[in-house]
Amino acid sequence: MDLLRGVATWFSDPGNWSGSNGVPWRIGEHVVLSALAVALAVAIALPAGLAIGHTGRGERIATAVAGLGRAVPSYALLILFVPLFGLGFSSALPALILLAIPPILVNTVAGIRAVEADGVEAGRGMGMTGVQVLARVELPAAMPAIVAGLRTSAVQVVATATLAALVAGGGLGRYIVDGFALQQDDRILAGAVLVAFLAIGTDRALTAAQRRFERRPGSIPIGAPGAPGAPSSPFAPPGPSAV
Amino acid sequence: MRHIRTAALGAAMLALIVSACSLGGGGQASKGTIASQLVLAGPPECPERPFCLKGLTGTYGITFKEFKPTDPGGPITIEALKKGDAQVGLLFTSDPAIAVNGFVLLKDDKQLQLADNLVPVVRQAALDANPVIEDALNAVMAKLDQAALTDLNKQVTVDGKAVPEVAKAWVEAGGFSFSGGSGSVTVGSTNFYEQEILGEIFAQVLEQAGITVERKFQLGNREIVFPALESGEIDILAEYAATALEFVNAGAGEASTDPAATVVKFNEHLASRGLVALAFAAATDQNGFVVTKATADKYGLVSISDLAKPAP
Repeated sequence: MDLLRGVATWFSDPGNWSGSNGVPWRIGEHVVLSALAVALAVAIALPAGLAIGHTGRGERIATAVAGLGRAVPSYALLILFVPLFGLGFSSALPALILLAIPPILVNTVAGIRAVEADGVEAGRGMGMTGVQVLARVELPAAMPAIVAGLRTSAVQVVATATLAALVAGGGLGRYIVDGFALQQDDRILAGAVLVAFLAIGTDRALTAAQRRFERRPGSIPIGAPGAPGAPSSPFAPPGPSAV
Repeated sequence: MRHIRTAALGAAMLALIVSACSLGGGGQASKGTIASQLVLAGPPECPERPFCLKGLTGTYGITFKEFKPTDPGGPITIEALKKGDAQVGLLFTSDPAIAVNGFVLLKDDKQLQLADNLVPVVRQAALDANPVIEDALNAVMAKLDQAALTDLNKQVTVDGKAVPEVAKAWVEAGGFSFSGGSGSVTVGSTNFYEQEILGEIFAQVLEQAGITVERKFQLGNREIVFPALESGEIDILAEYAATALEFVNAGAGEASTDPAATVVKFNEHLASRGLVALAFAAATDQNGFVVTKATADKYGLVSISDLAKPAP
């Protein structure tokens, strides 16, 4: 109870809401770092996933690489990157990009592969080129799976971006790392609450986006995860409890 | 017409701001201290701690350009220094990384840090049976300066040499020759490599003096090892003056920056426990502020107080 009261006091202290160690600034840092990591991961994983899914080549390698990427802890990568890239976000960003790539890559490949052959053949029969088939048939059908991967990535990145504070980076992890060093439990818990809310908010926002793609008029629902007979997504989007 | 006036006003304002900024920046660079151009890396609690940033500001009047929260004397601080993300770092004074990376340990010339000089603690009964123990350990401590301790740590943790081998070479080089010992003693250590190295050195010097030595190393932390010393399970232990004093007086705050005074206080608490602290070494294991060789050369840094001097 004392701890909860301490957290409430922490949040009501105006000193914790202003300046470069204030909540708004730290949230801003956290969001910028996370958004940048996810955006760059999309820039890498989406084209790669589309190419692999469309051609069917390198699927096993992609799955293996993605599995390996998920198995290496972000914390280890972060410490390895400090000698290469230096303190702060310059090391945290590449570690988070590598964390964000696997779900997007695997879901993109699986989403494209799950598009029913009938649709693809109909497209070809209408005289579409390979790129047109990818853009007009496969991509729209795979969109819900791709967004589901994006959502998994984004939630993981928001939760993991706290590690940046271990290497002198900013973000909400600052409260957790500093609170631990100073033995201030209220600060640790306040930081954890903020990260949890940010992760839940990210999840909700991307769930809404995912639904919009699933219901979009004119989109081709064949093979969409959740549709009857469609293979389930390898990355089931986590609920808030996964944070 | 109106547009032109607005544009002119905007341009004038912009020019004013730019010139103000450049003036302000220029003024700071020429008038500031050396520290005001440097970044300090240390554990996140550093700004709140009297032996870290708080003490640097209070005792030395030093303000850094920026503080970067890293780790307590660990690899992130070392990498930050090597990479140039920070120029001053907080490490432990006997950390072999200082020697390995050619860092310069700044002299604590205003005595900010409590005196954690190495000091052997011996059971009075063992000392009564073998008075040569005192002469032998005093001679070892007299040779143990900061460079010697750091190098011993480096040989074990960086070069991967075995503790007995490192101790043997150091004892041989020291030319210790004592005799007249008899019976047996037990030398102990916590599970901290530095204490084990010292324990092994004590053991070898005492064996030379004719005493049979039993080694009980890596016993655990101070909370386990110090009671073992009091109960007689071990007879000799290498300790750190200030920290050990605050351990036996339950944190009464008697330790000071003066090693001699700290050891005197320590002995007052030890007498009733049948223990005695012998002569302390010049070597310490305490908070130390280090800079890279390049930074030290650039600003001519030797002591911490040099950081408060005006920047060139």
